[in-house]
Amino acid sequence: MGTFKHLMLASMIALGSAISPTFAQDLIIGFSKEGETLDPANHRNRETETLLRNVYEGLLTRDASMKLVPEIAESYEQVSPTIYDFRIRKGIRFHDGSDLTAEDVRFTFERILKEGAMGDGQTSPRQGLLGPVTGVELVDANTVRFNLSEPWPILPAMLPNQQIVSKAFVEKNGTAGMATQAMGSGPFSLGEWRRGEALILNRFDDYFGGSPEVPPVGRACVDRAIFRTIPETASRVAALLSGDVHIINELPNSSIRQIQASGVADVVEVNGTRSFFLAMNMQGEIFDDIRVRQAAAHAVNKDLLIDKILGGSAARIEGILSPDAFGASELPQVGYDVEKARALLAEAGYPDGIDITLDAEGAYRDMAEAIASMLTRAGFRTSVAISETTMLTQKWRTAGGPKSGDMWLSSWGNGSLDPFDIFAPTHATNDRGNSAGYSNPELDKLLAAAAIEMDAGKRAEMYHRAEMTIVADQPYVYLWVPRDIYGVSKRVEGFHPSADSRILLHDVCLK
Amino acid sequence: MNPAKFFQRLLQLAPVLLGVSFIAFMMLAMTPGDPVALIIGEHAATPEQIETLRRDLGLNQPLLQRFASFLADAVTGNFGTSFYHRRPVAEVIGERLPATIELSLVALIVALVTSIPLGVLAAIRKNTIFDRIATLFSLVGVSMPGFWLGILLIMIFAVNLQLFPVAGRIGFSHEVDPITGFMLIDTLLHRNFAAFGETLRYIALPAVTLGLPMAAILMRVTRTSMLEVLQQDYVTFANAKGLKPRRIFFRHALKNALIPTVSVAAIETGSLLGGNMIVETIFGWPGLGRLVVESIFVRNYPLVQAAVLLYAVTYVLLNFIADILYTLLNPRVKL
Amino acid sequence: MTVIASSTAGAPGLPIWRQNLRVFCANKSALFASAVVVLFVAMAIIAPIIAPHDPNDTDLFRRLQPPVWKEGGDWAYILGCDALGRDILSRLIYGSRISIFIGAAVVLFATVIGILAGLAAGYLRGWVDVVISRIVDILLGFPYLIFAIGLMAMMGPGLVNIVLALVYKEWVIPCRVVRGETLAAREQEYVEAARAVGASSGHIMLREILPNILSAVTVISTVRMANVIIMEASLSFLGLGVQPPTASWGEMVAGGREFIMEAWWVSTFPGLAILALVLAINVASQGLRDAFDPRFAE
Repeated sequence: MGTFKHLMLASMIALGSAISPTFAQDLIIGFSKEGETLDPANHRNRETETLLRNVYEGLLTRDASMKLVPEIAESYEQVSPTIYDFRIRKGIRFHDGSDLTAEDVRFTFERILKEGAMGDGQTSPRQGLLGPVTGVELVDANTVRFNLSEPWPILPAMLPNQQIVSKAFVEKNGTAGMATQAMGSGPFSLGEWRRGEALILNRFDDYFGGSPEVPPVGRACVDRAIFRTIPETASRVAALLSGDVHIINELPNSSIRQIQASGVADVVEVNGTRSFFLAMNMQGEIFDDIRVRQAAAHAVNKDLLIDKILGGSAARIEGILSPDAFGASELPQVGYDVEKARALLAEAGYPDGIDITLDAEGAYRDMAEAIASMLTRAGFRTSVAISETTMLTQKWRTAGGPKSGDMWLSSWGNGSLDPFDIFAPTHATNDRGNSAGYSNPELDKLLAAAAIEMDAGKRAEMYHRAEMTIVADQPYVYLWVPRDIYGVSKRVEGFHPSADSRILLHDVCLK
Repeated sequence: MNPAKFFQRLLQLAPVLLGVSFIAFMMLAMTPGDPVALIIGEHAATPEQIETLRRDLGLNQPLLQRFASFLADAVTGNFGTSFYHRRPVAEVIGERLPATIELSLVALIVALVTSIPLGVLAAIRKNTIFDRIATLFSLVGVSMPGFWLGILLIMIFAVNLQLFPVAGRIGFSHEVDPITGFMLIDTLLHRNFAAFGETLRYIALPAVTLGLPMAAILMRVTRTSMLEVLQQDYVTFANAKGLKPRRIFFRHALKNALIPTVSVAAIETGSLLGGNMIVETIFGWPGLGRLVVESIFVRNYPLVQAAVLLYAVTYVLLNFIADILYTLLNPRVKL
Repeated sequence: MTVIASSTAGAPGLPIWRQNLRVFCANKSALFASAVVVLFVAMAIIAPIIAPHDPNDTDLFRRLQPPVWKEGGDWAYILGCDALGRDILSRLIYGSRISIFIGAAVVLFATVIGILAGLAAGYLRGWVDVVISRIVDILLGFPYLIFAIGLMAMMGPGLVNIVLALVYKEWVIPCRVVRGETLAAREQEYVEAARAVGASSGHIMLREILPNILSAVTVISTVRMANVIIMEASLSFLGLGVQPPTASWGEMVAGGREFIMEAWWVSTFPGLAILALVLAINVASQGLRDAFDPRFAE
């Protein structure tokens, strides 16, 4: 009975103190997803990558303005269109105190590239992210060479997404061990992974400081950085407002004003990299007519949607490229004009309007309904059909195969901010993301040439011409690039989110 | 229960588990959506790379062969590899199971602790204002959508009053080495009472959200059976003999009245275990329900398959336990 | 013993159902609850007449407009507007159609299937019973919500698919009750008498047994209807609800939870509507049970 009383007393005390004693310097992030694994080579998940990039680092990284800067590499050069050399920085230590060498870098990429290199006959699911890279070899003790089977201008842009592991550590623990253990060269080392609940990271005191081009350089500010999984948006916002967590990701646009008015937290935004658009099925009978596509483009009031539904936090686009992307240029605007839309529709043979279906994912339900009502006012009597992402991609991204459907509220990511991995995939004939079924041989030629053009100025000009072509052909109604929104406690200093979804906690301090 | 009966029950289990596995397998197979396409997403992939991925996930075999090898492996305790975690499914589920069981059991305790006294009192004071309020409480309890209740509790108790945390099982100032996986037990085994208290604070809101509908059901059952017992001859007889009401109540009435409550509770625990994905999502609870629902959406076949099997086994076992409890409490019933 | 208690409650000489009805009508809260249910049903039927606005009429300038008693609200939109500027009151009124339709359709189909399967299993016994009982056992082994989620993923969202996804498992509940009741009825004198005069199995099941167990089934079905309405809300929460622009209460609560701190009215009113309807059904069904199925009476 005595123990029981003692126990009750203890729990009463603990219950009484609403805010339990914590470490002074625990930075807690309320994060929408949990990590799938701790092995940087064994997943294809953006959120998992976000978590791991505080433990592991890449050859290159990006600063807050998305500029590519060296990280583990000291410098790099393109020897020929298909050969790149990277010089590895000296003095970088892994969390176990060992030196990071060029051999670790070579090993990391070999593990991703080679068939069956993960053990048990398994191949890394990240293999495809390295495109035409055929192999990686050591040129000298500090230089690693990438060999490509064909020119691939986005190789540097893709490298921040591959994290360097320790060869000795992988060989000791095997791929099975890598799933639950982590040992990198990043600003934080693995503390504890509470599966499904939290990832606790400890400051790594021997950290080399990070890219010299992303100040401040040096070890991290907080003692621990902790990612707490909170999948429900309303709960994540609640956790920020109640002070349980200091930073949250995927803050809904609707909560922006709420957070700003709360007095305990601020809203921090960063330009995103994902372009949203309405794909119109040009293989179908309705949208093979340019006038119908133009009518749709005039029917959608982008500015109003951005202002009201996205809370103003999105950049309007007229072509496929984000304003931040390489080659982005000033383009003529397709203005909002219901009368013009109706007139075009009548001209195309639909004076009484037409019935169409707008496909959308559940996450964009509100947006799809708002767009549908705008289209309806212009003569497209639009009903919204909600489906799962996987069903919609199967239906629309047929790579040239036959497709059904009228219109799809869709998007395409451009994490590299290089037109290469957004322009051709969505606009080249029969390409994997060409959901409109658009085909323009001239454009195909232009995009193929732009992909391997080495002169940046000429290349930018080619993409401008490509943009002008698609503005004229209007295979999609180009909408906007939403900003990524974070809620940040007023106690946090130095948090600068990155457009490539990295949450770099190295510079963040707590008041 | 004699051993023969026991084994007979066990044998009945086999066709049920086989049927459940088969239906789950067919449902997944008939669900459109390709896990390989989901994994590749928007990135380019050569046909060879797609084929490699398909082979690595074991999706290149014909349908029935896949089911056969699932069964053959499952018998040996191997449930395959999770497509996304890239670890054995049994391991991934095993990590989540304690959190789900702990939450369900605490919800069960919340439900029992509130429902039995309320139900008994409501029966004793039948048709009083107390009875009416208790009845109303129980009806509101079963009529409330769980996710709405959960969000309301968070708004009131976490954001406005700041009494309870929003999400998780425990804060980060305590380190509790897992022994059983159940935080409440582990903290006690470590004699870390502060951590135990904090664990209670974290589990309070989800357990109340999950336990309330069950409390409502159990209260109804308790009240009804208590009323029945109070009208029984032996109670009337004991009353007539002049025994103290307390004694009659605890010795005779309560024990008998609780028989239905306990067996309903055992069966309802099954629906707690299989029906908590919404509560787990709202409160960021690292349990199995949330994982299974997410796995359905991303077509993580092996994980869904194994989890469904686990749910079925749990269901059968709980019914079994309900039967045994029924026999123990009520020796007149023979299995 | 309770049977006696209840039959003495009614006046002697009246048919049993009239007596039961009297018991039911004496239960004021059950009567009130039934009135509430009737009101909701009436609201669903005449929704186009009483709804002040088109429930799907969007206007982004009215986005998240507060209810009339709050600053910024106006009488045209008494309960305020949702994220697309649609009138919440009108959507609530139309939404009653969905909740009631799904509740009624699922329970109706499930009850009919459950009765037929339960009668067959309980009366015919033999392999019919074995097969049906096995299917029931297997379906019971699935957690309800997970089974429904799986089916919805398979069939895609939509009103009809929700009904189907729920019926596939729901029928098991009346089936078990009917099977048990039929097993008991089989040994009763009136069944044996019918068999003696050479009545067919079909006749005995549908004409002799069914009327005698119908009240028990009805009572179970009304309680289940409350449950089904909550299931629909849960599916909506998980993004597997009805297709837009249809207003459903579950969808309204689910869609509005993102705004719960900035615009609590978007999800609170539909939440209260679910609570009110389900509560009314539960209270009414409890009254029904007390009156019509006296074995469970108090």
